[in-house]
Amino acid sequence: MPWSRFEKQWSIVEDGRILSYKDAVREAIDQAMCLDPKVFAIGLDADDCYGVYGTMLDLSHPERVLGTPISENAMTGVALGAALTGMRPIHIHMRADFLPVAMDQITNYVSKWKAMFGGKPKVPLVIRAVVGRGWGCGAQHSQSLHGMFAHLPGLKVVTPATPRDAKGLLLQAISEDEPVLVLEHRWLYKNEGAVPEEMYTIPFGKGNYLRRGGALTLVAPSLAAIHALKACEEHDLDVDLIDPRTIKPLDREMILESVQRTGRLLVVDYDSPACGFASDVLALVAEEAPDVLKRRAGRMTFPDVPMPSSGVLERRFYPDPERIAARVKAMIGITQSEEAFV
Amino acid sequence: METPRMKPAEFLDLYEQLLRIRTLSEHILEVYQDDVMETPVHLTLGQEAVAVGVCANLDKDDVLSLGHRTHAGALAKGMPLKALVAELYGRTTGCSGSYGGSMHVYDPEHGLHGSSAIVGGNIALGVGAGLSFSLQSKDNIAVSMFGDGACDAGVFWESMNYAALAKLPVLFLLEDNTLSNVMPKSKHLFPDPAAIASHFMPTFFADGTDVLSVYQAANEACGEIRRTGGPAFLHCPTKRWMKHQGVEEEDLPFIHIDRSKDCPIQKLERYLLGSHLATPGKLKEIRARVDQALADAVRFAKESPYPNPEVLEV
Repeated sequence: MPWSRFEKQWSIVEDGRILSYKDAVREAIDQAMCLDPKVFAIGLDADDCYGVYGTMLDLSHPERVLGTPISENAMTGVALGAALTGMRPIHIHMRADFLPVAMDQITNYVSKWKAMFGGKPKVPLVIRAVVGRGWGCGAQHSQSLHGMFAHLPGLKVVTPATPRDAKGLLLQAISEDEPVLVLEHRWLYKNEGAVPEEMYTIPFGKGNYLRRGGALTLVAPSLAAIHALKACEEHDLDVDLIDPRTIKPLDREMILESVQRTGRLLVVDYDSPACGFASDVLALVAEEAPDVLKRRAGRMTFPDVPMPSSGVLERRFYPDPERIAARVKAMIGITQSEEAFV
Repeated sequence: METPRMKPAEFLDLYEQLLRIRTLSEHILEVYQDDVMETPVHLTLGQEAVAVGVCANLDKDDVLSLGHRTHAGALAKGMPLKALVAELYGRTTGCSGSYGGSMHVYDPEHGLHGSSAIVGGNIALGVGAGLSFSLQSKDNIAVSMFGDGACDAGVFWESMNYAALAKLPVLFLLEDNTLSNVMPKSKHLFPDPAAIASHFMPTFFADGTDVLSVYQAANEACGEIRRTGGPAFLHCPTKRWMKHQGVEEEDLPFIHIDRSKDCPIQKLERYLLGSHLATPGKLKEIRARVDQALADAVRFAKESPYPNPEVLEV
């Protein structure tokens, strides 16, 4: 798997200490472990020599990094049991596609535990999973699934797009007394950006403007946000670009305020379309601001089929910055036909 | 069987525990048809000895991870009767604030961190509590309690494997009533789970209808865990008197129950009277105390408020 051949996707140019997304994740875990002896990491291959793509290497407390057998379902229950009895586990999955193996525990236990007992339990459990894509990874190694997990009441779903957010949102997740699923995109790991050295948290439910503009509101999480940013910068598009940062809770106010100004909405979501994040954003605008749209809203998602493996098909399957730019141009009237780019 | 070395008062305490659980079951039988308890109940009639015999060997901070059949385990571990009864009556003073019902009970003060209605998964949560104790260098143990049905599930094997690999202080407590809903064990489980468990960890056996047998075996199993820091398995065959759920008696043709011979309470009574550890008068006094406690708990529940529907943001 030539992950090393993947280039940086697109970085925001800014001042400050520059760190990669991968190192920002690592620093968050290291600082959390140093601050609180109850924080520990557990997961399949979490303790091996590769350290989950480098995010678990050279930590100050390697004794608190535990490997597991291939038992994602039971290990999710184990992590939950530890969280309920005084620890703050970070359960790690090298692929988001392994999460469905633990679907019973995530759906019926983790997400329900607090509400099922009248809101009394503290459930300080973080589940970290890495999203893959491309180079023939195929149907079982390329899923993001954030829409599916956001469907579950009781589970917060976080999708950091920048190195700064990767650290701040992960530290916020570790500090929470409720379960949080953090989905990190593998393609963002080499991206660099300014990351404060000290510990800091970024609150959930607060989106981030990656670009300000007036012609169209573009909402995109995770890698899609970075691809959208690249599209806007390379094509100089007049776009209000919102990275929601957290799928749930969602910054509804930021999206509504922007759409009311621009009158145009495009959601780019690297996930399957049915009952998904993009649908939810469109539903939000349909419910709360039905009259502001100057033209019909748009979604760019994966097609509603499992990921193919052939590179030829992959390049058609996945949206990319060029296709995002073309769609934006069509929607704001720079090009004549939008449908040609759908 | 070797008789446990206990003070007379401790024998009587076991008796009172068994009775407390039985009396609650009988109350549920009495009122359930009136829908005053809007919650599916999985009664522990006939199975009281397993939870009581094991929990008599546990400290307050030891953890008990329960599945859907909760009443015996919760009370034996120390949950106040009022909190459980109020939960069954759907009141805010219930152990889960009315959000849980019979299957989801919660009392962290007594090592009950929540129970689950999906068969098997709670085994892993007990192992997680064991991991927590191990990481914090605490001497406590965690008990994962489950039935023979849970042994069908992958999470059972995954949990035993990890507990053995990581050497965690967990008691795997198999309360084997030989039934998965209405399926006999011969139809749902190919291997003998205790035989398999013995490849992972020291394995102990008890007669699950005899509280003294369970107490003694649990004493040895818990002693082993506290000594080694690693897991142990305890297999307790028992008999389920009622259907899987609800208040109807079991009537499967292949299940044979003698409600006198198989009754954990009558067994202990016969032992206590025969060995002069108690007089009939003393037992009567305990029964009166238990009846009073239940009456108090029911009154408390009925006087407690229902939740306000407005708390749900619809």
